Amino acid sequence: MTSVTEDPATALVENQDPKVHFRGVEVIYPGEQGGEPVHALEGIDLAVRDGEFVSLIGPSGCGKSTLLRVLADLTKPTVGEVRISGETPRTARLKRKVGFVFQDAALLEWRRVLANVALPLEIQGISRGERQARASELIHLVGLTGFEQAFPRQLSGGMRQRAAIARAMSTNPEVMLMDEPFGALDQITRDRLNMELLELSQRLRMTVLFVTHSIREAVLLSDRVAVMTPRPGRITEVIDIDLPRPRTLETRETAAFEELAKSGMHLLEQGFGSS
Amino acid sequence: MTGLSDSAVTGIDAKGTGSTLGLGVLVPPVVSFVLIVGLWEMAVGYYETPAYILPAPSRIWSSMVKDEGSILGHAGITFFEAVAGFTIGSALGAVLGALFAYSRTLARGLLPYVIAANTIPVVAIAPIIIIWFGHGLPSKVAVTAFLSFFPLALNMMKGLQSYDHTIMDVFHVAAANGWQRFAKMRLPSSLPYVFVGLKLNVTFSVIGAIIAEFIQADRGLGFVIMTAYRTLNMPRLWAAMLVSALIGILFFALVALIERWVIPWHSSMREDVRS
Repeated sequence: MTSVTEDPATALVENQDPKVHFRGVEVIYPGEQGGEPVHALEGIDLAVRDGEFVSLIGPSGCGKSTLLRVLADLTKPTVGEVRISGETPRTARLKRKVGFVFQDAALLEWRRVLANVALPLEIQGISRGERQARASELIHLVGLTGFEQAFPRQLSGGMRQRAAIARAMSTNPEVMLMDEPFGALDQITRDRLNMELLELSQRLRMTVLFVTHSIREAVLLSDRVAVMTPRPGRITEVIDIDLPRPRTLETRETAAFEELAKSGMHLLEQGFGSS
Repeated sequence: MTGLSDSAVTGIDAKGTGSTLGLGVLVPPVVSFVLIVGLWEMAVGYYETPAYILPAPSRIWSSMVKDEGSILGHAGITFFEAVAGFTIGSALGAVLGALFAYSRTLARGLLPYVIAANTIPVVAIAPIIIIWFGHGLPSKVAVTAFLSFFPLALNMMKGLQSYDHTIMDVFHVAAANGWQRFAKMRLPSSLPYVFVGLKLNVTFSVIGAIIAEFIQADRGLGFVIMTAYRTLNMPRLWAAMLVSALIGILFFALVALIERWVIPWHSSMREDVRS
C-alpha cells in the first residue's frame, strides 16, 4: 500500500510527455557578504503528469518554495533543465501557462475583488467585458459570489485567499503553483479550503504543485508527495498516495490515510536527522 | 461551496467613512470658539489693554475689512502664489522622485545635492531667487516652488520603492511589462506617501509665499505683515496672521479632501476622525 519509490527519476520515465519536468536542477544562491554559497536545490529530478496533484513537503530551507519559483521564472536554475509543456519557464510564463498562489494573498488593496481577480487578464490585454465575465465566473467557482465589489480589507483571510486562487486561475494556466496557500489560516478555514481545492482540482483536472508544511494536508490532496530535506535542498522520497477519489475530510479517518501520513512523518524525521 | 466559517465579513457595510458630521462633532469646537473670542473681547475691554499689546477681536475684525482696504485682496494674491508654487514644485518633485526611484545611479549622483539644497534656510535663498525672477509674481511663485519641491521628491521616491514584493511577483508571473508595473502597482502603492509629501507642501507653500513677500513685494499678506509691523499697526498684523493661518487650513482641507477621494482604500483613510 505505502509504495515508496526508491528513485524518483526512474519512476517517471514511463511518462513520455510530462507537464512539468525537472532534470538535474541545481540552484545556488551566492553567499551573503563573503559567506558560503547556499545550495537551495541540488539534483532535482521530477516529472509531473498532466492533471496530477503533487505536494512538496519538508522543513524550512529545503528549497520547496525555490522549486516553485524556478517554475514561475522567478528564480533561474544555476544548473539543469526545467520544462513546462516542453517550454522553458520564461516562455511558459510569457504565454500565461503558469498560475501562482502565494502564502500571502497579495491582493491590490485599492482594487475591488472583481478587478483583483481580473488583473492578469487586464495585463494580458483582454477586453473589459470579457475579463469581467471570466472573473465573475471564477469568483463564483471559489465561493465568493456577492463579494465582487468588496475591497480586500473587507474580507477575511480565507476569503482573501479564495480571491487569490481565482486570480491565479483567471488566465486558465496549465500549471498551478501553490506556495503554502493555506499556511496562515485557522484550522477550520483550512479544512474547508482543502475540501474545495480537492473538489476543484479533480473536476478541472488541474495540474498542481503544492507546497505545504502539513503532511496530512499533503496526503489528503495529492496523487504524490515529494519529501524534501534541507542543505542542500533535495527530494529524498516520492510517496504515491493511492487513496481512492473522490476524497473527503472523512478520508483522513481511514486506516490507509493514517498509514500514509505516518510513513510521510517518518521520512520527514529521517530528513531532520541527517541534516 | 459557500463558506460558512470564513464568509463572515469584517465590516463590509461599516464603511467607516467618518464623514458624518453629527451634533456631537460640531458643537464642542463652536462652543469653544465662541467662549475664547468672547472672553478675549471682555478681558481686553475690562483691563483696557492697549491694542499694541493685544488688540480685541472686534478691532482685529474691523482692521481685517476696513483699514487701508480689505485684507481679502492680499490674501487672494498670497493664496494664488502658494497654490501656483505648490503645483509647480510638487510636479517637478514628483518627476525627480520617480527618476530617483527608477535609477539608482541618478539617485546616487543627485540625491546628495537635493538633500543639501533642502537644508538651505528659505530666507537665505529667497533673495537670490527674487533677483533671478524679478519683482513680480513669478519670483514669489519660484520661492514657493523651491520649498514645495523636496518633500514630494523624497516621498515620491520612497513611495515608488515601497511596494509589496509578493505583489511584484504576481505581476511578474502575469507577464506584466514595465509600464503596467508602474501604472497598476507602483504608482498606486506610492499614493499614501505622495499625500504625506503634498500635505507637507501645503504648509511650506504658504510659508514660502509669505517669506518671498517679506523680502520684496507691494501686495500680499507678507507685504501687509511687513507694513503693519513697521507702522506698529497691531490689529492689522493680527488680522494678517489669522488670515494666513486660515489660508493654510483651507488649502490643507482641500488636499485632505482630494486624498479621501483618491485613496479611500488606504488604512489611514479609515480611521474615524473623531477618535
